Amino acid sequence: MNRERLTSFAGAALLALAGCGGSGAGGEGNQAPPLPQPPPVTATEAFQFLNQASFGATEAEAERVIDLGIEAWIDAQLRQPASLQLPFLQSLGPQPLFEMFELQPDRADIWFRNVLHGDDQLRQRVAFALSEIMVVSQLGALGDQPYALASYYDMLVRNAFGNYRDLIEDVTLHPAMGVYLSMLGNQKPDATRNIRPDENYARELMQLFSIGLVELNQDGSVRFDAGGQPIPTYDQATIEGFAHVYTGWTYAGATQFNDAFPTPERQVTPMQLWPEFHDTGAKRLLNGVNLPPGQTGEQDLADALDNIFNHRNVGPFIAIRLIQRLVTSNPSPGYISRVAAVFNDDGSGLRGNLGAVVRAILLDEEARPALPMEIDGKVKEPLLRLTQLWRNYDAASASGRYPLNYAYVVFGQGALQSPSVFNFFSPFYAPPGEIRNNGFVAPELEIATEYLNTFITNYMFAQTFLWNHTADTASEEITEDTVLIDFAEEVATATDIDALIDRVAAKLLAGRISTGLRAEIAGMVALIPEEQAVFRAAETIYLVVTSPEYAYQL
Amino acid sequence: MKRINRRDFLKTSAAAAAATMAATPGLTYAQLVGGGAPFNDYRALVCVFLFGGNDSFNMLVPRSSAEYKVYTESRQNLAIAAEDLLPISPLTSDGAQYGLHFSMASIQSLFESGNAAFVANVGPLIEPTTREQFFNQSVALPPQLFSHNDQQDQWLSLKGEAPSKTGWAGRMADLIRNNVAGQQMAINASLFGSNMFQSADETVAYVMGPGGPLQFEGFSTDPTAGLIYEQRQAFRRIIDVEYGSIFERGFADVQRRAIDAADTVTAAINSPQVEAITTLFPQSQLGTQLETVARLIAARDQLQMQRQVFFVATGGFDSHDNQNADQPGLLANVSESIAAFYAATVELGIADLVTTFTQSDFGRTLTSNGDGTDHAWGGNQLVVGGDVRGGDLYGTYPLLQIGGADDVGGGRLIPGTSADQFAATLASWFGIPDNDLSIVAPHIDNFAQRDLGFMVG
Repeated sequence: MNRERLTSFAGAALLALAGCGGSGAGGEGNQAPPLPQPPPVTATEAFQFLNQASFGATEAEAERVIDLGIEAWIDAQLRQPASLQLPFLQSLGPQPLFEMFELQPDRADIWFRNVLHGDDQLRQRVAFALSEIMVVSQLGALGDQPYALASYYDMLVRNAFGNYRDLIEDVTLHPAMGVYLSMLGNQKPDATRNIRPDENYARELMQLFSIGLVELNQDGSVRFDAGGQPIPTYDQATIEGFAHVYTGWTYAGATQFNDAFPTPERQVTPMQLWPEFHDTGAKRLLNGVNLPPGQTGEQDLADALDNIFNHRNVGPFIAIRLIQRLVTSNPSPGYISRVAAVFNDDGSGLRGNLGAVVRAILLDEEARPALPMEIDGKVKEPLLRLTQLWRNYDAASASGRYPLNYAYVVFGQGALQSPSVFNFFSPFYAPPGEIRNNGFVAPELEIATEYLNTFITNYMFAQTFLWNHTADTASEEITEDTVLIDFAEEVATATDIDALIDRVAAKLLAGRISTGLRAEIAGMVALIPEEQAVFRAAETIYLVVTSPEYAYQL
Repeated sequence: MKRINRRDFLKTSAAAAAATMAATPGLTYAQLVGGGAPFNDYRALVCVFLFGGNDSFNMLVPRSSAEYKVYTESRQNLAIAAEDLLPISPLTSDGAQYGLHFSMASIQSLFESGNAAFVANVGPLIEPTTREQFFNQSVALPPQLFSHNDQQDQWLSLKGEAPSKTGWAGRMADLIRNNVAGQQMAINASLFGSNMFQSADETVAYVMGPGGPLQFEGFSTDPTAGLIYEQRQAFRRIIDVEYGSIFERGFADVQRRAIDAADTVTAAINSPQVEAITTLFPQSQLGTQLETVARLIAARDQLQMQRQVFFVATGGFDSHDNQNADQPGLLANVSESIAAFYAATVELGIADLVTTFTQSDFGRTLTSNGDGTDHAWGGNQLVVGGDVRGGDLYGTYPLLQIGGADDVGGGRLIPGTSADQFAATLASWFGIPDNDLSIVAPHIDNFAQRDLGFMVG
């Protein structure tokens, strides 16, 4: 059915760009033989790609993709400098330490500014995905440390196309992670007081950030022992080994080891080793490796992170998670394997090149299959439903701010606002019904509860009918921070219902609106008097952005 | 080479967790309970999940001198001072004396009045397990011990080694789904998001907010209301469009359940008899959720409810750091919220129809990491209600000694009682017949005592 729907729209996939250099000319005279030309990108494909690679496809960006071609667009993005958060927070001036939590809305603001308007769309999208794998959260001890969170996010943004080995070292030593998973202040054993090293970070770095619980093949399938049982990647003794590795680290510039006072400077500076609190015994690592006794804390850490980095699971583990965040919930073994292979070796012998991994994910044939199956694609993350709408309708507030510090309440997610280190949803979540029964997963549906879906539906109602370009900014309901969308263009076409629907569908659905949705919108809009053009346009956008097809990313 | 198609792949490896395709309990139910005849009474179970792993050996603490000495030697700077413990007097003595954490005065009085009980050192097990068996690996163990999400899933699903995607409340709901055909709301309701506990094959849990369902803005069910009626109708019909993708259909299913339940349930919990509840609840997240549960239960007749399982939860129990500073507030919230909820059931005259119980990821290490504790295994759980044989301890309170008979290292205690036994006892009270208990609690047959005896039969 999906296939039929898509092929029938293939015709309407219109705009199918002539003019995008696909003729493969060349070969004249003494010129070098022509490089094979990628096939021209259709508008539908460009939209589809941009919903994977940005915070929401827009017509303007789709034109750029069509001009450049997908591969060149990606390569340009890989070179884009990073849009950051911390300089913005610092530019707001010093904040008394005990009022620092008041900067959390500003952190939300700069996140939205960057993902809505940043030129580094792909970098921001990948960083957001990484923030859902290597989780720290405002909800908890970091609630009053917005500098730490902004600095952590910037670290992810900077490393998004870098090397995974550097990434896990930066994650490990970042004070935000130190606070969140209690490596900060973790000390060597003290038998007389029954004190042993904290196992929190040791466990989660392996379980959630790098290798997972069971041995994997390169294609992501589980490896079994002779008895048919999955082979665990580590045991409690391994966790204790790593827990001993991660001893001796605390805030840079701390006056004593357990000085946990989060000054602005400490929040953004990598943790520092206090050798006398580092355990110097031998330590058990993965794959039967043991660290010798007597090493420095820095050496132990470097060796331990190398040990994790070189585990065969990392490639498929990271491949599955990034594919799920960007492209599809249920990648085939082949897709996982191809991406993992690039993780293992980017072609130049380098392991862990995340830019190459991202490129491989987005350029894979399975990323945009010619004949999609009903299990291709994914449910859009709730925040991406919002940012796609906002990017298409020039969302802005009078103050220029987007201080949605409550995003996690309404949308079930917000940047660095996870309820726990397990992220907003699990990569393995399968809702009851056909998805679970057929062995598929749909991670984003874990937070698509009746409650949150209603919350979001109501938010979209307010956004379309109330918070738009016709709002009375003098009224009490509209503050200088209320984010308004501008659909004047749709209002102008509202007398022609079909044209109105076409316009909205072109922006939000890549032109692929189902006949069912189109008919319902047309029927509803026809009930609204022609002179109420704003309501007609609002109704159209509202019914689109709350529809199942808008919630779907193919 | 055999070409692997997508479906084969997904059946074997989509989720690493779904690694082994052992038969999951509950896929083929032999029969529906009692032939599907309606129940002739009302009963509700309320699960209070304490996310992060409650350090429950500081919640229920030995007070008698020999046992207290062992406790303080193990716990060192994390021990509660003897004079701060709130004494309780269990009906059945094991020779020791016990007290509660100083922030749990309300639970102390419920215990002393016979409406609260504790189950000691309970946790996920597949079969009875000794320290020796643990170390020589001669016993089946739940996989991934000491990991948060895996042990949460164990408590909520009781799946043992099987890759079950259903929870024990979900399986109870599936078993009795035909006995409650007239209910206006699902058997399972969550006030804390999707959860494994209520996940099922045949039934779907309804997820509302901490204050109840939200209503849709701009919708009316009144056909004379004009555009806001038409808008609701259009929205509702869009959900039923035939969609080509499993993801669109999955999303549409949620939208459908949301809109179909919102009005009915909201009307019921705002009815006059519900508004008449006077019991005051703490203004915490847990207090708010339990207040809403009380309101839903008060509306049970209007919604034609006969059996309900509620899931509420609160977090912050993962006390790797600052345990001495944080634990009093956490436990006070549990104590005050559950006590208020019990008081509300008394006010509604249904205290003996409602049973509240705690679950948590795991107990915590008896040893410390300086100012906190790490993930362990067995722990103590609280059960409250009019039908609870309260004022007593169930299971065996363990020796809190590092390297002692129950310690597998660092003060991680092997549970003496299984979570299956705990669940089966509650399931029996809820109305699940003995011969179906192994669907709810798959390993119950491995344990001699099928019923721990803390519920009135």
